[in-house]
Amino acid sequence: MELLNLAINSIFVSNILLASFLGMCSFLAISKRISASIGMGAAVVFVLTITAPVSWLMNEYILKEGALVWLGDSFKNVDLSFMTYIFFIAVIAAMVQLVEMIVEKFSPALYTALGIFLPLITVNCAILGVALFMVERKYTFAQTTVFGFSSGLGYFLAIVTMAAIRKKIRYSNVVPALRGLGITMILTGLLAMAFMIFSGIQL
Amino acid sequence: MKNLFDKGGKFEKFYPIYEMFETMLFVRPDRTKSGAHLRDHFDIKRLMAFVLIGCFPAFIFGMYNVGYQHYVSQGLSASAISYILKGAGYVIPIMLVCYIVGGFWEILFAIIREEEVNEGLFVTGFLVPLIVPASIPLWQVAVAISFGVILGKEVFGGTGMNIFNPALVTRAFLFFAYPAAISGNKVWTIFGDKVVDSYTKATPLAAALDGGSGSVVQNLTEKGYTFKKLLLGLHPGSVGETSALLIILGGIFLIITGIASWRIMVSVFAGGFAMALILNLLAPSQSSFLALPFYYHFVMGGFAFGAVFMATDPVSASQTETGKYIYGFLIGFLAVMVRGLNPAYPEGMMLAILFMNAFAPLIDNIIVSRNIKRRLSRASN
Repeated sequence: MELLNLAINSIFVSNILLASFLGMCSFLAISKRISASIGMGAAVVFVLTITAPVSWLMNEYILKEGALVWLGDSFKNVDLSFMTYIFFIAVIAAMVQLVEMIVEKFSPALYTALGIFLPLITVNCAILGVALFMVERKYTFAQTTVFGFSSGLGYFLAIVTMAAIRKKIRYSNVVPALRGLGITMILTGLLAMAFMIFSGIQL
Repeated sequence: MKNLFDKGGKFEKFYPIYEMFETMLFVRPDRTKSGAHLRDHFDIKRLMAFVLIGCFPAFIFGMYNVGYQHYVSQGLSASAISYILKGAGYVIPIMLVCYIVGGFWEILFAIIREEEVNEGLFVTGFLVPLIVPASIPLWQVAVAISFGVILGKEVFGGTGMNIFNPALVTRAFLFFAYPAAISGNKVWTIFGDKVVDSYTKATPLAAALDGGSGSVVQNLTEKGYTFKKLLLGLHPGSVGETSALLIILGGIFLIITGIASWRIMVSVFAGGFAMALILNLLAPSQSSFLALPFYYHFVMGGFAFGAVFMATDPVSASQTETGKYIYGFLIGFLAVMVRGLNPAYPEGMMLAILFMNAFAPLIDNIIVSRNIKRRLSRASN
């Protein structure tokens, strides 16, 4: 029940994109086409589901103060948490490399559609954000896994919805100065306002 | 007269304003410049007028109710006419602000973009006063309607091209920007100098959330809210949304004239029904709000008004027929869910519709691509 609550919370209530506004660059760039946005969303779900638990293990057994105690008593006072960012980014980069190879092998069309943005997942702040939130909120392993997966789903939901909306406004007569990124920013704001319907829900 | 506004005339820039008034009064003999050409008196302006007719009973009753609550809170009673006049003194200024401020932006955009003035504001300006409390400060209405008209509609190119219903964007803006003016127990009635003790200030939803000793229905009845009373609508609330009966009459009018989609209306109620049953199962005790029967949900707060006038907005709703069922069902479902499970908001109807506005294009896309797939497989067999 607690895990379900956490899942619903991170998909809807504090959606990584629409409540924390992390991962905006890929969101704005990839939401032009629905098929590409589905691919991007799926990639983020995949990467997050793997990186969040792996980052948790890193943090628990290598990085945080006293984590290295399994090496022997003399390591009890070692605190490597100043290396958190480097370690997390390294894990994320490795995972993204993996996803890239899988996508290229199985779906070359999606690979070309995602283009530069697939490698850029490495520096997608949503991914690093989830890893850092996990440390800050002191989640357990199970919680971290659920949190990573459902944050990815939240990203997926937001980007696919946005892609569908952008497909619809292709027929609109948007103010010339706002065409492209401008109107997408406005839409993101309105979408975030609509998502506020969930803020405060506790199961 | 017309020459002044034509190309090269003295007031060329103000042609949109001239065009607006001319088409409001006359049907012009314009024709399509090329291709197929269909002549019908039923243009967007007439369609919007029909929506206004549908709202009208709820609007008149809303004014009556505002006046009625004002007098009752002071322990007085007066004639129906003076109720309406008193209420009109609060509701008409809100409407004027909506039309003047909204109209200003509308005309400004039309002049700059050299287009004709859209008709959508007729409905938006009429709906907004109906979904706010009568006591709302007018400057807040002006700010909110500016937000709704500009960011909800005009930046997309005007009526028919927007994603979100501008009236709902206005209402949501008010709700988040000035929560004190649109929630709580004090805003729903215009109070005079003195308030009699026996007067209930709470809206039925707040009263039901309050709890009490008996079952939730008994508690409501104790506070004076029987089902029949709620259906008739003489209770505090937003101006136009208290009387479910008149709203449903308006809805039937809209369905008969073919303006609003019955699919959406019916499925909104179905969604509310489903979620209310689920909440009933979850209810820890009979006095909890979750135990409220579904038909009470339908007559309380903005549920009926949203289902009939807001969810059916043909622009922001789902366009496919199957999509309309899903769209409506989820609106009802979410609205009742927010009422039951979200302690932050006692009322979720307007936000539920706004939320589903965002998802309507996605629903349509899924339906359309499924249809394409099905037909392809049929054709290839």
